[in-house]
Amino acid sequence: LRPSRPGGGAAGPAAADPLCLGCSALFSRHPLATFFHLFFRVSAIVTYLFCDWFSNSFVACFVTILLLLSFDFWSVKNVTGRLLVGLRWWNQIDEDGKSHWIFEAKRVSTIAASTEVEARIFWLGLIICPVIWTMFFFSTLFSLKLKWLALVIAGISLQTANLYGYIHCKLGGQKSISRITSSFFVTADVSKRQTRRISENCIEEHGNTASR
Amino acid sequence: MRDLKAVGKKFVHVMYPKKSSALLRDWDLWGPLVLCVSLALMLQGGSADSKDDGGPQFAEVFVIIWFGAVVITLNSKLLGGTISFFQSLCVLGYCVLPLTVAMLVCRLVLLAGSGTVSFVVRLVVVIAMFGWSTLASTAFLADSQPPNRKALVVYPIFLFYFVISWMILTFTPQ
Repeated sequence: LRPSRPGGGAAGPAAADPLCLGCSALFSRHPLATFFHLFFRVSAIVTYLFCDWFSNSFVACFVTILLLLSFDFWSVKNVTGRLLVGLRWWNQIDEDGKSHWIFEAKRVSTIAASTEVEARIFWLGLIICPVIWTMFFFSTLFSLKLKWLALVIAGISLQTANLYGYIHCKLGGQKSISRITSSFFVTADVSKRQTRRISENCIEEHGNTASR
Repeated sequence: MRDLKAVGKKFVHVMYPKKSSALLRDWDLWGPLVLCVSLALMLQGGSADSKDDGGPQFAEVFVIIWFGAVVITLNSKLLGGTISFFQSLCVLGYCVLPLTVAMLVCRLVLLAGSGTVSFVVRLVVVIAMFGWSTLASTAFLADSQPPNRKALVVYPIFLFYFVISWMILTFTPQ
């Protein structure tokens, strides 16, 4: 007699049905988190670009953008990273006052298509926005609108902090970041080196046979 | 939520400073952000503002507070302090609370009039709150230093709150 699997009826058809897989790829499992991950960052950038249309007051724009950046920092650090990609990082101070930075990554056995979509959105949003704020930094510096400089620097530091924290989570425990980047450059030209080595071996052999 | 309650607890701790390492353990920078923004907002509209919308002065207050706090933290770390960078920023930022209260009182007093009496009242309030801020932050920060370096650490904190108090006292509305 076959033991009946609890919930086996639900799991079986869903795994086998390609239509359901397609559906789950389109609709992420955490739509609210995905929305808010992008909402605060993009509205901060949009407000910065179009602040003249919204209001004449520098102070109101400054405070609005700063609040949006802070909410974005809080939500990405505490909520969306954990929900969308299963990573988290924080600072902990133990009994004798030493501070430790802790980076954690959740172990996932299966990666569903929806998780991949969410992860892609997460990383794209995380990487593109600090780049945009860095461009704003150079544009304010060179156009000498220095009163915005404090805000742009705050934006860059908040977003880069999240970026650095999550990259550290993703890579931490396996290798350090410098080793990852060096190995990235190594693998990029490993094919060239292999062909060189093969050709050197051939030349050596031919040289040896020639001398013999 | 949990974060809001932590921020509120720290505000209460600043007003009644007793040395508790529990306060220092979970630092956060929300309180300093709120205090900095409200102080900068209240310092708007002074006679130093020229024709435009007070933009540079708002950013100035911001930069003075955050840059000053970073410099003090670096100073205390270079002197061999055991406190971490963000903890020190957290304490310095939260101890701006008495000065923000002083600014509020000053603005209310200035609504009544700006004669000699109001100046004396404002002076007393600002000096009291300045003393409170410096004492509160010293109670938290000076313990992390070796004993012969305490004065070297307290002096920049004194200067930092003195500059903020000066900005508050010399504020005259347009």
